[in-house]
Amino acid sequence: MSIWPEERVHALADDGFETVDMTINVGPQHPATHGVFRMVLTVDGEKVVDCEPYIGYLHRGLEKLTENHDYRQAMGWWDRTDYLAGMACEMAYCMAVEKLGNISVPLRAEYIRVMMVELSRILSHFMFFGAFGADVGSFGTSFIYGWRERERIYDFFEEVAGDRMFPTYFRPGGVQMDLPENYQDRVRWLLGSIRQGLEDFDGLLVGNEIFVERCRGLSPVTPEQAIAWGLTGPCLRATGFKFDLRKDEPYSVYPNLKFDIPTGANGDVFDRFMVRMAEAWQSTLIVEQCLDALSQMEGELVLNPDLPKTLRIDSGECYVRTEGTKGEYGVYALAKGGNKPYRMKLRSPSFCNLSALREMVIGTYVADAIIILGSLDIVLGEVDK
Amino acid sequence: MSKSLAPKPIDQVVKLLEQRFGKLLVTINQTATDANIDCPPEHFRAVVEELKNHRDLAFDFLRNIVGIDMLEEGLACKYQFFSYKNRQAVQVTVLTPPGNPHIPSITDLYPAANWHEREAAEMVGLVFDGHPNLKNLLLDEDVRIHPLLKAHPLQKAEILQGIEDATPGFTF
Repeated sequence: MSIWPEERVHALADDGFETVDMTINVGPQHPATHGVFRMVLTVDGEKVVDCEPYIGYLHRGLEKLTENHDYRQAMGWWDRTDYLAGMACEMAYCMAVEKLGNISVPLRAEYIRVMMVELSRILSHFMFFGAFGADVGSFGTSFIYGWRERERIYDFFEEVAGDRMFPTYFRPGGVQMDLPENYQDRVRWLLGSIRQGLEDFDGLLVGNEIFVERCRGLSPVTPEQAIAWGLTGPCLRATGFKFDLRKDEPYSVYPNLKFDIPTGANGDVFDRFMVRMAEAWQSTLIVEQCLDALSQMEGELVLNPDLPKTLRIDSGECYVRTEGTKGEYGVYALAKGGNKPYRMKLRSPSFCNLSALREMVIGTYVADAIIILGSLDIVLGEVDK
Repeated sequence: MSKSLAPKPIDQVVKLLEQRFGKLLVTINQTATDANIDCPPEHFRAVVEELKNHRDLAFDFLRNIVGIDMLEEGLACKYQFFSYKNRQAVQVTVLTPPGNPHIPSITDLYPAANWHEREAAEMVGLVFDGHPNLKNLLLDEDVRIHPLLKAHPLQKAEILQGIEDATPGFTF
């Protein structure tokens, strides 16, 4: 008889021995689900044969609330979708309102926005590195590494907007107020700290053979599958498919900035991790260019001064998409007069990436299913709206 | 905005769709960000199959599905498609008549549509015929209300009327 458990089971199965599938419930209160996400795994021994995800535990009715609030009042709700990168959500929402109302944004405000969005992207990716390391088995170490840089960025956000996680800093037509006086030194110091943090992560996780062996080759996704399942963002680029809305459907001042779009090769868990590492590095380059541009336009306006006290939009329809931190963050907006939108719909990247989870985990081990879920980098505020 | 999302030229899509379906079935307007195709529910499947499978159109990516309550006009459903090959975006609008909110499901063509359709179904009450698993996604399984209907109150006790077997003591 073989010494390998699987072969022994197969040998037994050939003799008419039957195995029984077992159902395991994971979540909604479970540290590996990154929030309140529940999945019911059907397992045959250690192998997953079926997975049914359940979401909605954090549903707050974002779209209904937006329909019932003034265009400016609703801003705060959108921070709370992707709460790891609130400013990236505000950007998409403001762009949708600006598109509907034909509102122009001063150039300085655009650079401030892009800078803050890229810092948010770094925030979100650091959260991913930390939490993903914990998923794979480095326990709290990677988590604390991630939080060191995150706290520093949050401190800067607090200085800029008065709040850490939910800044509500953007406004339709610009940003709330100019940056604090010492922002150039502050952000340049931050960038040094971020790069050091990335190098530390590189040493801690990518330099760890156990981590690499756990992730490499796990759940490979082809570009065709990724497109069919609706994967976007780093999960799509990890397959080697080069598509980034910042380059391919450019918005704001991204055409003026120089940066690369990192891609993977195999679409496996390891590539998804490495794409985010490279992306965070590219974001630091973008922030640097924004700082240079901002230093040339000190004292200029940051908010369109011609806006009325109450925004009223007669009619219009748009689907605005931005490269959010998790993928394509789209906002569909329909206006039919008045100071409130008729309908606003969020196309949340986490929601779409998560919908592919079932196909990705079937056939893997239970422990790997947790890693695959972690590698999608979902944030439940965005999934559940 | 300094750099807006300029609509990509859509003439080719218009021409190809008109050849296939004629002007009667599909009307195209440019009011939205992307070119918009208005299509009645009974021809929706054929139009989407053409959009996906035609060699020159190749809309391979379903971005988003939005269900909208258009009050007396009925329920509308908007699909945003994108073609990675041609870098082209198009929106398909299906307006269902009042009292008959049925639209054929496209989950077999676009697996990504699965959760989007479930969300639109629970939020406004659209029915996607042929969907493999059209149960509530974000709301509780027992809830039979459609919160994004315009008639639905924002914060009222009447909400309870729509919940089958509402748990005693369930209050908002």
